[in-house]
Formats: sequence, structure tokens, C-alpha cells
Amino acid sequence: MRELRWIWLFAAKDLRTELRSGGRLPAMAAFVVLAGFLFAVSLDRTQIPSRSVAAGLLWLVVLFAAIAGAGRTFDLEDRHGAFRHVLLAPVSRRAVFLGKTAANLVLLWLATALAFVAVTAFLGVRSPGALVAHGAVLLPGTVGLAAVGTFFGRVSSHSSLGDTLLPVLALPLLVPVVFFGATATARVFLDRPWPEVAGPVRLLWAFALGALAAGAVLFRHTAED
Amino acid sequence: MTLEGRDLVCDYGPTRALDGVSASAQAGAILAVFGPNGAGKTTLLKALSGERRLDGGRVLFDGVPVSGTDPAWRARVGVVSHRTGLYEKLTVEENLRFFAGLHGQRAADDALRTALNRVGASALAAARVGELSRGQRQRAALARTLLHDPEVVFLDEPFTGLDPDGAALLEAALAELSTGKRIVVLATHDVARGLRLADRFLVLRCGRVALEDAAVGHQAPDVTAAFDATAALAPAEVAG
Repeated sequence: MRELRWIWLFAAKDLRTELRSGGRLPAMAAFVVLAGFLFAVSLDRTQIPSRSVAAGLLWLVVLFAAIAGAGRTFDLEDRHGAFRHVLLAPVSRRAVFLGKTAANLVLLWLATALAFVAVTAFLGVRSPGALVAHGAVLLPGTVGLAAVGTFFGRVSSHSSLGDTLLPVLALPLLVPVVFFGATATARVFLDRPWPEVAGPVRLLWAFALGALAAGAVLFRHTAED
Repeated sequence: MTLEGRDLVCDYGPTRALDGVSASAQAGAILAVFGPNGAGKTTLLKALSGERRLDGGRVLFDGVPVSGTDPAWRARVGVVSHRTGLYEKLTVEENLRFFAGLHGQRAADDALRTALNRVGASALAAARVGELSRGQRQRAALARTLLHDPEVVFLDEPFTGLDPDGAALLEAALAELSTGKRIVVLATHDVARGLRLADRFLVLRCGRVALEDAAVGHQAPDVTAAFDATAALAPAEVAG
């Protein structure tokens, strides 16, 4: 129970702070809309059917929005030394990681919803498939992205290289998420039956749960002095 | 209650920040730590609080070894530094509630009011930290530290950047802190103020204890002379 309360405390604090500072969400939203627009104008849709490329583009936009958001996860924690006092409290490092991941996940869901609307609208995808099926694919994918982004967000904020280190560390690990996510989303766009989608979704869940577990165990090594 | 550091060693890469430092502090008294920049004052406080991993030696609380990896020990410790450690976009009350929650205090209303009253900051509860003056922020930070009623309080340059009024208010709050059962360890450049507040003091020089004594009977120039003369020395290099 206490762990759940700590997770809730952290997630609520991060979201309240984000709402008032307005730093990450507008940046992610601007990137998502701009990327969707640029993809739309740069593709010759008479040669490539929109539904064939929409999945890949959607996952690329979501991936980079996740990295952009994760890069600033610990900015406010470190700016006035607040994280030092968090670590001095008898709170488990696992709860800190999961709470911050939860807050990142909420922001990423908002960015993902916007990306979905932007990509389908700009590419003119008239029948994108079942929204519930898209949600079932995007949910485990975004959990994996948020967990990996939060973990390496701490690693990079602790390093002298700062934000430049985050994509170098995170992107290679996130290749499976984008690959399986884009595969499953493409099948949903093409109205394939659920059993064809379920395989990659199971792998996305496996990645997401593995990333959460590994982050929860390893976070204390990146957090402490 | 006694807090004791025995033969503490802390390294930052090849630089030895603490080189076999031993120090002890008693309940109801303030131990001041003086020294030039880079002498190891902050590292000593971090080592004693368990915030910094030790490369040698140990910390004992009432004779029992303690470590920063133990949540039970962290619950007994409070820290105030020149960085307030508060979230600027949250109000003072929201900050205090958040940190109280981390300490497992669910119904923190009374504790919150008491902590704010003790540092004369009850009027600041609804204000966002980012809108407060430096002195007000420091008082809010002290309230945060007192919220879980720590038995050991570490103060790392708490007067930095405070105007005379803010410093006087903080000084009064610190004097009250040490009247209870608390152990207070204060690291400061301000030797005159430190000697006025403290019961005992020690001077660190290049990661070693250069002088340790009762504060009574010492004047600031005597103590400052003890570390000024060697302030330009480089930190000790780790052998090998």
C-alpha cells in the first residue's frame, strides 16, 4: 500500500508541476503536429498508399516525442536540488521510478492521441481500423517507451553529456518496440483480424513488463551518489 | 544520543575528499564544521547523513552502525542546504505535503502547521515557492526538514544568500532546534556566526581534521587563521 501511495504522490506531483510549468507537453505536441504535417507533404500518396506508411510514421513520431519528453523528466528535480531531498526520504527508489514513469506515460498518451489524429488526418487515412485495437497496441508500446525513457532520462541527467546521451542509450533498446508496434498497428490499419495483431502485442507487453521490472530494480544505482 | 563518524574516507575519483576524519556530535548541541572551499565540509555532512557512500570508516548512531541505504536511518535525518530543494511551481503547502507523504505522514495537517509556525512561515503556505524571496524559501525548506521531526539535522551553508533579516530568523530557528533532543551539525563559512551558534566546532583542512574544540573561548579570527594559512593547498591525492 505504501509503495502505491508513493507512486501516486510522485505521479501527481510531476503532472501538477508539468501542468503549471507547461514545458514538456507543448513541446511534444508541437513536434507531433509538425512531424505529421512534414511526413504528409513529403510523401507522394499516389505512389504509396497512406495506410501502408501511417503505422511506421505514427510510431516514429511517438518514439521521438517520448525521447523528447523523457529528456526533461529530471530537469525540475535537479534544478533546485529537490531530488537530493527525495533520496534522503525513506521512500523506495522503485516507487520513485514507477511514479515518474506513470507521469511520463500520461503525457505520452496525450502526445500519442494527438499523433494518431495528426498522422491519420494529414495522410488522409479515411478508415484507420478499430480504435480499441489501436489502443490495445499503443498501450503496451507506450508503457515500454515511458519506462526506458524514464530510466535513461535519469542516467543522462546524471552524466556530463546531458540530454545528448539519452537517444544514444535509449534508441537502440527501443528498436523492438517500434518494430513490433509498427507491425501490429499496420495490421490494424489494414483491418486484419485480431489473431494476426495479437502476436506482436504479446511481445510489446513482454518488453513493457521487462522494462518496468528492470527499471524498478536498477533505478537506485542511477539515482544515488 | 550520539552521532559518531569514525575514520571516514570519501573519494571523488582520484581525489580524496575525506581522509580518515573522525567527528562526533551530541544531542542538544550544535557541532559546527568550518574550513576553506574544498576542505570536505559538504562531503563530511553527506557521509554522516548516509547520503554519500563511504570508501572507508563507519558512522555510528548511539554506537550502532548506520547507512544511507537503510530507510529507517533516512527517516531520522533531515538536511537543509543553500539549495532549497523545493519545487518552484508548487506552493509551500504542496511541497510540504509531498515530502510529508514521502515520510509516510498521511494526515499531515497539524504537523504541517506546526512546522511552518516554528520557522515563522505560516503565512507562506499558499504561496508558490518560485514567488518567494530567498529568505522565505529557506524558511520553507527548514519547515520541510522539521516536518518529520528528525533526530539529526544537517545544515550545509544554510545562510548563503540570505539578507540580515532572513539570517536572523533562520538563526533563531536553529537555536530553537538544538534545545530539544536533536543532534545538529552545521557546515558554514561564517565562522563568527557558527561559533555563536555552536557548542563544539571542528576545522577541516584538505579532508583532515585540523582543529577540534569547544566553541566557548574561541574568536572567529583565531579559527579562521587555522584554515586560511593553508587554504591554497591542493586536496590530497589517493595513493596508488
